[in-house]
Amino acid sequence: MVMKMFNILSILAKYVFVFIIYTFIFLIIRMIYLDINSLSKLENYNGAYLKLLNRLENLPYKLNDSYSIGQEISLGRSNNNDIVLKDPYISKRHFRIVKDENEYFIEDLNSSNGTYVNGERIFDVKKLAYGDIIKVGNIEFMFINLE
Amino acid sequence: MKKLNFEVTRNLLFIFELISLSLIFLFNWPNIDKNTIYISLGLIGLVYVSNILLFKLSKGDHYIFLIVCMLMSIGVIMIYRIDQALGLRQLKWLYIGIISFFITYVLFKSYNRWSNHFNLYLAASYILFFGTLIFGFSTHGSIRWISIGGISFQPSELIKIIFIFILACIYSDNSFMSKPKITKYKELVTMMLVYSFIAILFIQRNLGASVVFFAIYLGIQYIYAEDNKYAILNIFLFAVGGTIGYFLFDHVKIRFLTWLNPWEYIDTIGYQITQSLFAIAEGGFFGTGVGRGHPNFIPLAYNDFIFSAIVEEMGIFTGIAIVMLYMILVYRGFKIALKQKDVFYRIISIGISLLLGIQTFIIIGGVIKLIPLTGLTLPFVSYGGTSILTSFIALGILQGASEKEIYGGSKNE
Repeated sequence: MVMKMFNILSILAKYVFVFIIYTFIFLIIRMIYLDINSLSKLENYNGAYLKLLNRLENLPYKLNDSYSIGQEISLGRSNNNDIVLKDPYISKRHFRIVKDENEYFIEDLNSSNGTYVNGERIFDVKKLAYGDIIKVGNIEFMFINLE
Repeated sequence: MKKLNFEVTRNLLFIFELISLSLIFLFNWPNIDKNTIYISLGLIGLVYVSNILLFKLSKGDHYIFLIVCMLMSIGVIMIYRIDQALGLRQLKWLYIGIISFFITYVLFKSYNRWSNHFNLYLAASYILFFGTLIFGFSTHGSIRWISIGGISFQPSELIKIIFIFILACIYSDNSFMSKPKITKYKELVTMMLVYSFIAILFIQRNLGASVVFFAIYLGIQYIYAEDNKYAILNIFLFAVGGTIGYFLFDHVKIRFLTWLNPWEYIDTIGYQITQSLFAIAEGGFFGTGVGRGHPNFIPLAYNDFIFSAIVEEMGIFTGIAIVMLYMILVYRGFKIALKQKDVFYRIISIGISLLLGIQTFIIIGGVIKLIPLTGLTLPFVSYGGTSILTSFIALGILQGASEKEIYGGSKNE
């Protein structure tokens, strides 16, 4: 009796197994595909850029994986910034990074809650070095310079 | 979006494990130890929690561990179905494997000077090799086991990982070979070193491992050596060595004969491979159903021939799925290598991807008679403590290397 029941269940289960395993593979491939899509074009970029250290999926708003700096980059809540963070904690114009003679400087634009570099609040201008961690609100960026 | 997808995938894995486990318990009813039920339920829980933990903990790759969990679930179900005692032991090994995955991952991530110990790696692998030759005992025609305190252990599995570290040191110029006097002969010295390894493996009659060592070496050499003429020379030497081996050594000759026409020797040396082919054919598209086939007819079905056993009972669709899972795994490995900026960690990632990929190709190719059969385990799926342990250690290193770019990548800029 148990054997008969087992036979029926086993035959049913083999179809279920194949279905589950293939769905599993499909989901993984889909996630990888989405991952590649959301990677910015910076993959082979050779200048300086900011790399987001937070998990994208944990953020309530849309952000890129990384931002190239170029000559200047600014961050803030209003739409005319290069990096827009729709976060009440962030000031309208929060900070900017400026390139000057191949050095990069970060400048806090009198934000109300401050900009932190490697855990220390900055008040005017500070030179950035490779690997510095810039924190505004809950968002953390790493400064990376490949020049 | 991604988070949601992860939850669905994780739950699918969970459901798969639950269904297959209840089925296998029903199959063995009523001869089931209570302990086995607890241990297997515990493992399912551990897999579930580890996936959540890794997703929170790791900023690197999130796919490889998930893929491996699926592979090992399929494997352990099959082993348990073939032999209950072995299945129980495999369950315990999987616990150890997952724990060592996390330990390796944390160690590899937090220590930053892995590239400075070339001499140590070299000494360790020679000690392990000669230890096997002196203290080793032989099973299934090859001397590859040593026993420490009652636990048998297969050093060549562990040396595979050390070997990748050695190659990574050499090609990222962290060994004595980057000294100006020797650097001219770097390729030749490396070749001698690798061939000494392969020679020892050959003496141990461990054909499968020697092919894996050679393939990893060839792959990394092809990518990183300045001159490709050595790679061509190596392929040539491999062909010559294979031909000489065919005429000199019986165990090489047997592999070739049973590959070309196993039907002629169906009662003797060709028995295993023909049984494997019968099993695969018996399975059809969806298999006979777990517990309804005869995987016991294949000798060593729980080990080297696990793939045939799986295909017989779960169908060629599952077989193809397993190959696909390995393909995604290796793809992720190469992806990690491509993203990595530091040459040392890059070679480590490539080496581990090659190790997993080639080992899978050789053993699956072997049991379906695509290439000559050599005894190897299917990583994460086959029965075997050392194999499970080293595969998980390798995976932990890969996971660690996927994060190194963020925190330790400044070295070579």
